[in-house]
Amino acid sequence: MRSGSVGALPRPGQTWAGWRRAAGTLWGVLQHDRFAFAGIVIYALFVLIALSAPLLTPYDPQQTIISGDQLMANRPPSRAYPLGTTNVGRDIFAQLVYGARPALAVGFVAAFFVALIGTSIGIVAGYYGGWLDAVLMRLADVAFGIPYLPFVIVLVAFLGPSLWNIVLTMALLLWKDTARVVRAQVLTLRERGFVEAARVLGSSPRRLMLVHLAPNVLPIALLYGSLAVGWAILTEASVSFLGFGDPARISWGYMLQDAYISQALSGGAYNWFIPPGVCIMLVVMAGYFISRGYEELLFPRLRRR
Amino acid sequence: MQKRSVVHGLAFLALGALIAAGAPVAPTQAQPGRQVRELVLVTWPQAQDPQQYEAARIAAEGMRRLGLRVTVRTMPWEQLADYIWYSRQKWDMTTWQMVGRPERSDPDELLVNLFSSSTAKDGYNFIGFIDPKYDEIAQGQREATDLTTRKKLIVQAQEIIAGAQPYTFLVNPKSIYAFNNQVWDPATIVEQKGIGIKNFWTFDGAAPKGAQKDMVLNAQDPVQAINPLYISGKVDSWITELIWDRLVRIGPDGLPRPWAAGAYKWLTPTTIDVTLRPGMRWHDGTPVTADDVIFSFTAPKGGKVPMYRPFVANIADIKKLSATTLRFTLAKPSAAFLTSTLGKINLVPQHVWAPMLQSLEGKKENAESLQEKAPIGSGPFKFAGWTRGQEVVLEANPEHWAAPKMRRWILRTVSNVEAALGGLRNGEINFLSDYLGDPAVLARLSSQDPRITVIASTDIGMQFIAYNERRPPFNDADFRRALSMVIDRNMIRLVAYKGYGVLADSPVSQALEFWHAPNLPQYAYNVAAARDLLKKAGYEWDPQGHLLYPASQTETLEVAR
Amino acid sequence: MTRSSTRWIAQRLAQMLLVLWVVATLLFLIFRLMPGNPLAAYIDPNFTADQQQALIHEFGLDLPLWQQYLIFLRASAAGSMGQSFFYHAPVAQLVWEALPNTLILVLGAVIIAFLIGATAGAFLAWKRGTALETAGISLALAVRAAPEFWVGMILLAVFSFSLRWFPTSGTASPGAQYASLWRQLTSPDFLRHLALPLVTLVLYLQGLPLLLMRSNMLDVMEEEFIVMARMKGLPERRILLRHAARNALLPVVTAFALVVGYSLQGYVVVENVFSWPGLGRLLVKAVAAKDYPLAQGAFLLIAALAIFMNLAADLFYTWLDPRVSYAKR
Repeated sequence: MRSGSVGALPRPGQTWAGWRRAAGTLWGVLQHDRFAFAGIVIYALFVLIALSAPLLTPYDPQQTIISGDQLMANRPPSRAYPLGTTNVGRDIFAQLVYGARPALAVGFVAAFFVALIGTSIGIVAGYYGGWLDAVLMRLADVAFGIPYLPFVIVLVAFLGPSLWNIVLTMALLLWKDTARVVRAQVLTLRERGFVEAARVLGSSPRRLMLVHLAPNVLPIALLYGSLAVGWAILTEASVSFLGFGDPARISWGYMLQDAYISQALSGGAYNWFIPPGVCIMLVVMAGYFISRGYEELLFPRLRRR
Repeated sequence: MQKRSVVHGLAFLALGALIAAGAPVAPTQAQPGRQVRELVLVTWPQAQDPQQYEAARIAAEGMRRLGLRVTVRTMPWEQLADYIWYSRQKWDMTTWQMVGRPERSDPDELLVNLFSSSTAKDGYNFIGFIDPKYDEIAQGQREATDLTTRKKLIVQAQEIIAGAQPYTFLVNPKSIYAFNNQVWDPATIVEQKGIGIKNFWTFDGAAPKGAQKDMVLNAQDPVQAINPLYISGKVDSWITELIWDRLVRIGPDGLPRPWAAGAYKWLTPTTIDVTLRPGMRWHDGTPVTADDVIFSFTAPKGGKVPMYRPFVANIADIKKLSATTLRFTLAKPSAAFLTSTLGKINLVPQHVWAPMLQSLEGKKENAESLQEKAPIGSGPFKFAGWTRGQEVVLEANPEHWAAPKMRRWILRTVSNVEAALGGLRNGEINFLSDYLGDPAVLARLSSQDPRITVIASTDIGMQFIAYNERRPPFNDADFRRALSMVIDRNMIRLVAYKGYGVLADSPVSQALEFWHAPNLPQYAYNVAAARDLLKKAGYEWDPQGHLLYPASQTETLEVAR
Repeated sequence: MTRSSTRWIAQRLAQMLLVLWVVATLLFLIFRLMPGNPLAAYIDPNFTADQQQALIHEFGLDLPLWQQYLIFLRASAAGSMGQSFFYHAPVAQLVWEALPNTLILVLGAVIIAFLIGATAGAFLAWKRGTALETAGISLALAVRAAPEFWVGMILLAVFSFSLRWFPTSGTASPGAQYASLWRQLTSPDFLRHLALPLVTLVLYLQGLPLLLMRSNMLDVMEEEFIVMARMKGLPERRILLRHAARNALLPVVTAFALVVGYSLQGYVVVENVFSWPGLGRLLVKAVAAKDYPLAQGAFLLIAALAIFMNLAADLFYTWLDPRVSYAKR
């Protein structure tokens, strides 16, 4: 892992200068990098959809639609049902639109925890070194060694099929990449005398970590955070597909599983099977795009195009 | 020390995450006063059984119209089975099903096991239905060897159940199977009452029309074991039925007929003489003897064959009258003996199984842990190969008196339902034997492709909602009857079962035309009448519309956990 | 190898065993602490209380937890993984039967994904700055972002259901028999069955080597010796292939082992879609059926493979790049 360029040492008394500068650089990336910008636009679009779901569709995603005396099952796309209906008469477009909520919730919450836990552990391990570092890195080894999806399945079977259990399991395992990379970065900073200088200037360890180290590893945290959004959504979809998902929430993963067990493809209901997959793809892709933007920050060579 | 504060911080973080994950699980307090507590209906997750899940949802909606607060809770089926079976004080209501098996063509098993007080504590009567009059009638039909008397008693038993509504009966589902009519002569495909076309008679008699002489079937779950002394998964039983013979088989009409037994005669209500068919041979060439048969019925009596033991428990003695005749003496009369025992026990070779069971003596394992490398039976099919998780191959036994017309019987494990359909279409599979998906999709496939014939038959099994009578208000028959009237069973039939089922009104399926009681009360969907019934029974509603117990009662239980 | 490197390898091996032990213990605890009667799925309701007790005793579930744990440790060290509740057969045997199917699919997919990905990555680096590159990257990321089972189902629907080019499930046609494992693996029938699951996995895995190769190529191409070669007037393609690619390949190759470990998890869904009888499907069924010994055994094997791959990646990287010193670790 090559070390990128990092901000200069903040002057004493400027507690938040480091953070402000980091925020400025990150915002700048978003504005200049095409991919990152596209990613943010996609996120914004889906957040908008999620928030305005009731305005976009008159139906409730769980509602079985009965018109006249007939169950509106397996209807093809039409004006009344933009994407058609499921085999028990639920509006697919409504499910898609409301499904953005759990998708984004899972994505962002998991990403937040992954970034937070990973960064914290990385900073602590890198700063303190010694036995604490060794223990934390061995813990990371264990997390590396545990096959991800099988573990999620096992734990969800154990804790119960709830969306938040899935998030918890992801938070337990996905921090390892972030932690490793952050730790490497902190070690580099340590080597460059950065830490020593700050300590000489009288910073307490906590202040040092929060004020000086954290802003410098923020790009890494955001990079892995945005990747984690994608991993989280894909995991939730896979777990739902295998039958261990949360039955109470209509998420895109739930929709795909529902379509699968109702033989949507054999029945030619591509309008049911394709859209949720496309939505997942878009949101995850947005995460990749944004992370590429921050990758550029860390590897500035690539900025020259 | 600063390090400690960091560790504290991390621990706090982890704790916070755990708390957040556990937050929704907060216990609800018991409701004071007469208001009926929130009731919980447990069911399968939608992924595991979309029909029961949908039925539960619709039922809960109906119950709310009585002013009840109802929650539907899903649990994976292993956990659900555990909960219902071992925590009989804890649950309120559950969806449940009784699977149709050929042996259940005789209503004895269901009528007795489900509602007799003897099985209330740890048997099939998990709802705790206690009615001495019913016990008397159930026992009576078991001992009545005269058909007319027996039928009258069975009708009476059904009438008691219909009146008491310990269950709300939902549907007798239709089992749906399909086959390729260019490969198999449709005239040789047999539809067995209450079972469908996937049955022993079809496998034995199906005649290939063209070059393809192998029957390729599908199953969603892998084969667990091929063991005649073990009732393992439902798929496994298809295989054991083909490799091993039985004395009696249930015919396509649902009634028992002689098979390995050439003939049988009841001498007294507790004695029956059975004559063996001559010339039977095991797949390794040795002849089938009367000793083998005696062994097959006495081996399960020991402790090593737990699943078959209950079925031979009633046999007091087996005497060998000659090389081909045996006399069974029963401890108690059992009118269903032919179906439930002679039609169930597999005939196994003594020279193979005696040493194997002997080797288990003193060890804690039982016969279920044994697996022959190349199972030996005397049936119309011989074992040819088993690739775990993939397929089982059986080949026809030409020396059998009912030798199959096909060359091989191949069962493929296909976990993906869409793939099974695809396989049927492109010829990889020529008999769709395990299809739990949307029947409309299969029907459409058949209408588009004339090579595929789909046959739906009303099943012996039934789906129902069970009420735990240990917990009020479910101990009140009026309450249960009212519930049956607010559950829109026809909508359940249409939406959850896509119309593939008939409304059930009895533990005896409509498919068993001989035994099913006519003119049972139907409990049509009628919310007003249901509320009326409750009012007459003393129930009332509070100003918010919540249901209250009759004046003398209060809610004593907490919400089911 | 130097003495310090041998010691380092020994250290890493010891760490690997430690990690494996922690994972095994974690697994053991999770399964034993699951709510509910562990044998509910296996006890026939017709059993009497005695018979149920006998069954619990047979599976060793009536012993105190610490004793069960010791038995578990002892058995694992001896290489036995217990008896499957569901199949009543040794777990080792079941896992052993499923392993080759998994390895073939995973290794095959990773190798092909790397070949295709690395080539495409180099190509995109060459076309740097063009619209083609943007499109290429977007496409690679899009495929990587799609759920595997979704891609798999679509491939199945198009190429198997509609076009009938490929079969719908399994590793072999019904009733097929082969003289030996090698014969089976090289038969056209097997390859036809392997095709779709393989393609699904390859599509998913190609993203990483592609992007890695591209970014490394871009780095390398800025290096001095490349600039020199360009100044010398060598043709662009020769620079690309002879000099840049070879150097850029190094990290990509070491990522290979990592990706094998990582892909040992993602294929679980692919196995389900294509009814491929490998470890993933075995594990999912075992968990759903609460078959602890089998679930533990399958999980442990997958974890061991992943950890081993990690170690191999580390070893490989340090061997290839002597600049990395052991002391820093």
